[in-house]
Amino acid sequence: MKKQILFSLAAVLVFMVTPPALLAGETYLGGFVQGLYGGGLDRDNPTSSEMTASETRLQLRMESFSDAAEFFGRLDFVYDDYYNPSTELELREGFVKFRMFKNLDFKIGRQIITWGTGDLIFINDLFAKDYRSFFNGRDDQYLKAPQNALRAAWYSPLGTFSGIYTPRFTPNRIPTGERLSYFNPMAGQIVGGEPYFEGRMPEAEFKNSEIAARFSRYVGSADIALYFYHGFYKNPTALDMVDSTAYYPRLNVYGASVRLPLLGGIAWLESGYYDSRDDADGDNPLIPNSTINSMVGFERQLNASLTANFQYQNNYMLDHDLYADNLPPRMVEMDETYHLVTSRLTQMLWMETVTVSTFGFYSPSEKDFYGRFSVSYKYTDALTLAVGANIFDGKEDYTDFGRFKKNDNVYLKITYGY
Amino acid sequence: MNFKRTFSVTAVLLLIGAAGLFAQDNRALDLMKQAHLNLYYAGDDGIAEVKMTIVNSKGKERQREFAMLRLDLEDGGRQDYYTYFRQPSDVSRLTFMVHKMPDASDNRWLYVPSVDLVKRISADDKNSSFVGSDFTYEDVSGRHWSEDNHKLLREDTYNGRPVYVVESIPKESYKGFARKVTIIDKEYILPVREEYYDKKDKLERVFTVEKIESIDGIQTPTLRKIENVQKNQYTTVEFTNIDYNVNVKENVFTERFLKNPPREFIK
Repeated sequence: MKKQILFSLAAVLVFMVTPPALLAGETYLGGFVQGLYGGGLDRDNPTSSEMTASETRLQLRMESFSDAAEFFGRLDFVYDDYYNPSTELELREGFVKFRMFKNLDFKIGRQIITWGTGDLIFINDLFAKDYRSFFNGRDDQYLKAPQNALRAAWYSPLGTFSGIYTPRFTPNRIPTGERLSYFNPMAGQIVGGEPYFEGRMPEAEFKNSEIAARFSRYVGSADIALYFYHGFYKNPTALDMVDSTAYYPRLNVYGASVRLPLLGGIAWLESGYYDSRDDADGDNPLIPNSTINSMVGFERQLNASLTANFQYQNNYMLDHDLYADNLPPRMVEMDETYHLVTSRLTQMLWMETVTVSTFGFYSPSEKDFYGRFSVSYKYTDALTLAVGANIFDGKEDYTDFGRFKKNDNVYLKITYGY
Repeated sequence: MNFKRTFSVTAVLLLIGAAGLFAQDNRALDLMKQAHLNLYYAGDDGIAEVKMTIVNSKGKERQREFAMLRLDLEDGGRQDYYTYFRQPSDVSRLTFMVHKMPDASDNRWLYVPSVDLVKRISADDKNSSFVGSDFTYEDVSGRHWSEDNHKLLREDTYNGRPVYVVESIPKESYKGFARKVTIIDKEYILPVREEYYDKKDKLERVFTVEKIESIDGIQTPTLRKIENVQKNQYTTVEFTNIDYNVNVKENVFTERFLKNPPREFIK
């Protein structure tokens, strides 16, 4: 404990002192303090605690730049006692940005990366997500987990070429039974508490690095993009029968997207071919089948303070017959096509000091649902109060959202920005 | 004969009258056009630090601070805007970009750095509030003079200075206002007061210029206020560190700089 505090203090000192000394330019500081308290609504949730959150977070943000380069850092200190009290220190972002040869930009270090067109659903964005935070009421910014990566972008007359190299595979942060329960196919039921779930990571070898690339440009007022990803499924979706562990199978993705103004709103279309490299023939039911994943979405303002959007996603298994033929008895057969619809409604009130937001996910093929509801009130520019709920439902326990159906929770969040 | 003559004289008089009216309308149009160009297209480009104070009906204040960069591609036509938010804390480092299209919907982008997200924003409703203030998007980038019919009501004095008073009525039914009265400073040809009336012809919003400064020889309203009379709330905007003709290039208004603020302009 003492060691940890010392380490934290040292980190703060380094954080506060080093970059300006290095770059000696303009420096800005900021951040927030936040309290988040949440509890589960399901009495029979098998997790360790009925609380889903009881944390105080201090974020320090620092930006510093000179003519040559730019530094940005974001450091979170969290005291969390939803179960066993613990302190946590996370470098959310810490990178250097610089420009070379006029048209080449680099961003190197720990960073949050996003691309693609979907609203909270992702096809070609295979950067790490944090569903543990997403499901328990933390701010939207915590849906994205940081990656240690090298990013380069070349701005050519033809369009923009971006490349991202992540030396060590960074998986999604998913419910492990600690704070949120989940369906365990081996146990055949929803489980929580110890032992916490852990997927087997790929070996720390260079061949197991992640590579993501994108080409993007404008055609009239439409932005179009082509994508490539080489790495692993970000969730441990494959099962090793020998030692009954879940692991991250190898994956390539080839995709494209277009986004454009349409009918007074914005429309988007995105598609990706998921090449499941460990199951090239599609006959191994313990590894995901290759799929074509597609989505279409539309957003527009309904009036000056109300915005709505709608999305439809479709994932199509390429070798469903082979998969089904090889399915062991007692394992539930997945549909050839997965359907998902989502909708977001955002209403602003009182000169945009109050935001009422709902976001619903519903899969007609899986018959499961996930809803996010929140009301936030900016009492002053600095102080924001928010309440919200995360509600899951599903006919079956093993579907994407059904697997979390005992995790319904409500939360209260107070944020003071500085 | 007499009748014919009377008719001719009347016709001629009517014609002269109509021509006079027409001439006056043309003059009103020219004034509104020039005032629009002077307010929204000063110089070829411009940069400023902006401090916005929003005051609600209970007198509670909120503040926004941002840097704003503008490039005119064509006077009265295509224009690009870049906004870099500084305060409050929860929106700091956020950037917002607009390609203002003269004959189509504007293209708008928002970049949220905490999630590295480039979001395109539907720009259908020009009467949406700009960052929660009493200014609408249209107030920020201006309403094109060709969208309304203008009539010069009179010449007058306002705050001791000679002015024109012009009335504007939207050509097509418009929810932003039913009628607008603009007071234009004669010497500077700048709008110094605008009154917006709703469908019942009740005064709804009043825009006033509180302070004009000469910057690089350009008369610039550096303190502006918009008051919603019906809701009893107002917003003031103060411009500082204004610079014109800083030679900003068109490529600054692209995704590259949306994600990486151009530090030669925005420190």
